[in-house]
Amino acid sequence: MPYLIIDNRHIQVPRGTTVIDAAERLGIMIPRFCYLKVLGAVGACRMCAVMFEAGPVKGLQMSCMVQAADGMRVSTTHPEAVAFRRQIIEWLMINHPHDCPVCDEGGHCLLQDETISGGHSRRRYTGAKRTYPDQDLGPLVQHEMNRCIQCYRCVRFYQEYAGYRDLGVMGIASRIYYGRFSDGALESPFSGNLIDICPTGVYTDRPSRFLARRWDLQRADSICLHCSLGCNTVAGAHYRAVIRQESRENVRVNGSFICDRGRYGHAYANLAERPRQSRLDGEPAGWREAAREAAARLKRIAAAAGHSAIAVLGSARNSLETQIMLRYLSHHAQWRPPRFFVNGSEARSTAAVVARLDSRLAAGLPDLEEADFLLAVGVDPVNDAPMLALAMRQAARKGAKIVVLDPRPVELPFAFDLLSAGLGDLPAALAVLVKTAVSQAGTDGCEAQEKAFLAALPGRVPDEKLQGQLGQAGGWLAASRRPAIICGSAIAGPELAGLAADLALLLQTGKTPSRLFYLLPGPNAFGAGLLQRGSRYFPSLLQDIEKGGVRALLVVENDPFFRYPDQDRLHSALGKLELLMVLDYLPSRAARAAHIFLPGATVFEAGGSFINNCGLLQYAAPVHEGGIPLAQVSGGSHPPRAHAPAPGSEKCPSAYEALLFLANELAIRPPTMDASPWSLLPEDFPGQAELLAHPYPTDGLQLLPRLSEAESLQTPVNLPTSGPAAGALTVLRVEQTFGSEELSCYAEPLRQLAGPPLALLHGADADRAGVRDGEQLCFEIGGEKVELALQVTNRMAPGQLIIPHHYALGRAACRLPAVVAQAELRGLTGQDSPDLPQAITES
Amino acid sequence: MKVDKDKDEGGIINGLLGLAASYRVTLTQLFRKPLTESYPEYKRPLPARSRARIILTRDKAGGERCVACYLCSGVCPVSCISMQSAEREGGRRYAAWFRINFARCIYCGLCEEACPTLAIQLTPDFEHSCRHPLDFVAEKEDLLVDHGGKDGDYDFYHYAGVDCGEGKGTHEAELPPVDIKSNLP
Ligand code: SF4
Ligand code: SF4
Ligand code: SF4
Ligand code: SF4
Ligand code: FES
Repeated sequence: MPYLIIDNRHIQVPRGTTVIDAAERLGIMIPRFCYLKVLGAVGACRMCAVMFEAGPVKGLQMSCMVQAADGMRVSTTHPEAVAFRRQIIEWLMINHPHDCPVCDEGGHCLLQDETISGGHSRRRYTGAKRTYPDQDLGPLVQHEMNRCIQCYRCVRFYQEYAGYRDLGVMGIASRIYYGRFSDGALESPFSGNLIDICPTGVYTDRPSRFLARRWDLQRADSICLHCSLGCNTVAGAHYRAVIRQESRENVRVNGSFICDRGRYGHAYANLAERPRQSRLDGEPAGWREAAREAAARLKRIAAAAGHSAIAVLGSARNSLETQIMLRYLSHHAQWRPPRFFVNGSEARSTAAVVARLDSRLAAGLPDLEEADFLLAVGVDPVNDAPMLALAMRQAARKGAKIVVLDPRPVELPFAFDLLSAGLGDLPAALAVLVKTAVSQAGTDGCEAQEKAFLAALPGRVPDEKLQGQLGQAGGWLAASRRPAIICGSAIAGPELAGLAADLALLLQTGKTPSRLFYLLPGPNAFGAGLLQRGSRYFPSLLQDIEKGGVRALLVVENDPFFRYPDQDRLHSALGKLELLMVLDYLPSRAARAAHIFLPGATVFEAGGSFINNCGLLQYAAPVHEGGIPLAQVSGGSHPPRAHAPAPGSEKCPSAYEALLFLANELAIRPPTMDASPWSLLPEDFPGQAELLAHPYPTDGLQLLPRLSEAESLQTPVNLPTSGPAAGALTVLRVEQTFGSEELSCYAEPLRQLAGPPLALLHGADADRAGVRDGEQLCFEIGGEKVELALQVTNRMAPGQLIIPHHYALGRAACRLPAVVAQAELRGLTGQDSPDLPQAITES
Repeated sequence: MKVDKDKDEGGIINGLLGLAASYRVTLTQLFRKPLTESYPEYKRPLPARSRARIILTRDKAGGERCVACYLCSGVCPVSCISMQSAEREGGRRYAAWFRINFARCIYCGLCEEACPTLAIQLTPDFEHSCRHPLDFVAEKEDLLVDHGGKDGDYDFYHYAGVDCGEGKGTHEAELPPVDIKSNLP
């Protein structure tokens, strides 16, 4: 632990700390441009010069390049160092275009700050300035190269850290250029981070271009809701619209960056078509009037048909507060226990994850970065949860072996081994891989139960090539010291989640300590998983509605129509309800179908807590009051010339407030009206006592239960080893980075990047079915057409037809059957093709 | 306090003289041409630097000088300026709307000092009183004038290195844009 003196103050820092970081710990911010802790030091800008007065290094040195050592005496205010930095910044400004007034970085620009703090206010240089052409980098990032100071941060992030190659550095001498070889959208789904890390205004946020200065934004710490990772952001609102998000550092979750889905996905909060008017039987009504009427009808239905005739559907995007209130309300009103997932498989996968993830096993993204072997199964990181890919890349950069076991043609920005296994083969393939590893590492430490479990695992998969690959990967796993299993839930069912936990435990009891990382279907799926205990799944609820057992359904921030396979059945079932009450902030189909509709508030208005995929509870603060964006009220011209109440400023109550109001109307009173939502938690909820005792820390509270050893290994039940019969194709509906997730698919720039929907098919299947690459497939289902282009590839498992959830595919695509015959595929390409079988049954 | 007894002896005479002198001033002023300027019959020309009603000026080509940079609204101590910036066809940044609430303005001139484009200027026109508070709220069309005001020759876009349709490297003291595909010296 080196001990040094900086500006006459003493500090001890861990070995390997740079002097610039040591100073920062003392609160001394040494000027810098090129240095960024996550990217490391390169010493390119010379801005961080300080005077080393005593110790192993002497003289004027770059503080980012020198590691702290014993006996160092450093002065940041030495006249020579100050003069040096002053000249460096003046020199960096020589070619500056002096366009700060029209630059979106102005106001939070490092170059501005350091020019002023260097003591400059006038330009002395009168010669001609170098200029650069700019490029069109796509809908997310604006390029203005004249402002560049050649610090290299952008390329180091883009190529070294994130692993994409289409943006780089070109040219020589004083003509160094940062950009693409030619115009075109940036390929990396992390491109928005360029905006945050560029210390000048070369890259700025394009959707919010010229909209506001940072100092005018209402800013607050928020959480990304566009996948289950729960990355931390800072959201900024201006004139009642959320216009910009930046990444917020959290070393337990996302580190320093976020993905573009998270950065640009907020457009749903500002939609012109966002419903803001409460409705009673299709007619506009006052909010309170509608809520009172809802309570009255609920009472009537309960009196006529019993309390269990009322059911509740929340969602995985509800805040935890809302979910707690839903559970509390339905418990005390004796309604049916709330459900949170429309899709039964998602509900059961989440239940399995919540039941199996404990503190022995759980890994966070930072743990994955430190792993030396990563096995991802049923995951397509870039499409399912982009920041996972970035974390995996950091492990790869440190030399980790990475194996992905998935039916999809997974692409990742680093070297890895893709083992293509069909959806049905995933559990068996995973078991074979781990069995190989444990057998190789030796089973000496294993107890009888573990040995029995190991013996019960299948040892082979039918596919010879895959078997060989699994054996090889098993060897890598056996040789690794810090392995981790990453298990997805988007395509694979609950069996895989349970098996992954068993295998991770098995590896832990053997010689290889292994960690486990799950992805979940939604930003607060974990909370839903904890609170859905005891409830059956939505499809069974639908049956009860059809049979008349359920007469009222309260839907809170969910749209069953969004992805439910049998749309007709859903439509007719919901039509049977006496009362369909919907509370949401999206212009959803369910919202339009509701008898009583209450507009909801987004996370940016209401705030809320969310539990991410690792069981970390995090809080998103409200960013602004809400109301209709000023630009929509005034039509782009000046705001209405009127005194308060300002037109359009009425805000929507949060779901929690609305439910509290409803509870009150139903004479269900929480202990006190201003009680913390945590006081309504069921007692077996992990972390309940801590939550009640004090507010959780700002970087999150880990809520994982510590499960008993006894319920650890669960002997695998007949793992399937093959998919549907020969000649049939399993239809996989998959996520896309952009354009498929429920909230972010409203964002126009992300829609542009999503491209047209593509169906993927293995070459062998395409040959057999007689279809070609580029051919237009046209499915006709129930009179509606689903059109998408076919892409043929051999980088995927045969026997699958992969179709994305894509905003442009429309409702009919929900009804694609789970299995289609290869022979039918060809027949389905014509206009007069027969209807696909509609039988989709879900338990 | 020390009293000077010797001086006090001539006190009465001095007092009378003082009285007479003040009557003399009054009498002489009585027959002079009056100095008072009657307002509003006479309006004294004020120097250009006087700070009253605010205008938004134009550049020589007739374009709006304001680039909606929010510096004036940021510096305004009473927050009476608000605007919305936007992008014009061709890439020029401008104010989609621009509002000053003169009922709140204290005519400190800080906005003019902050303005990098010399767009916002205070003028000597101090005469505006209204009956209704809303009449003090001036919109962009009320503020825009058809001249350049003080320093009318300056044009921000001749110096700033941003391209608004005329191409990179065409402004004052700029080299032609670098050829990024060439490594020749
Ligand atoms: S574009 Fe920005 S980040 Fe990249 S080198 Fe230039 S100033 Fe640095
Ligand atoms: S990885 Fe997921 S949580 Fe993180 S920013 Fe992207 S969409 Fe949001
Ligand atoms: S003169 Fe002063 S108070 Fe008036 S608008 Fe300008 S900065 Fe604001
Ligand atoms: S400071 Fe000048 S250019 Fe900037 S917004 Fe105000 S008037 Fe317009
Ligand atoms: S920050 Fe040290 S040289 Fe750039």
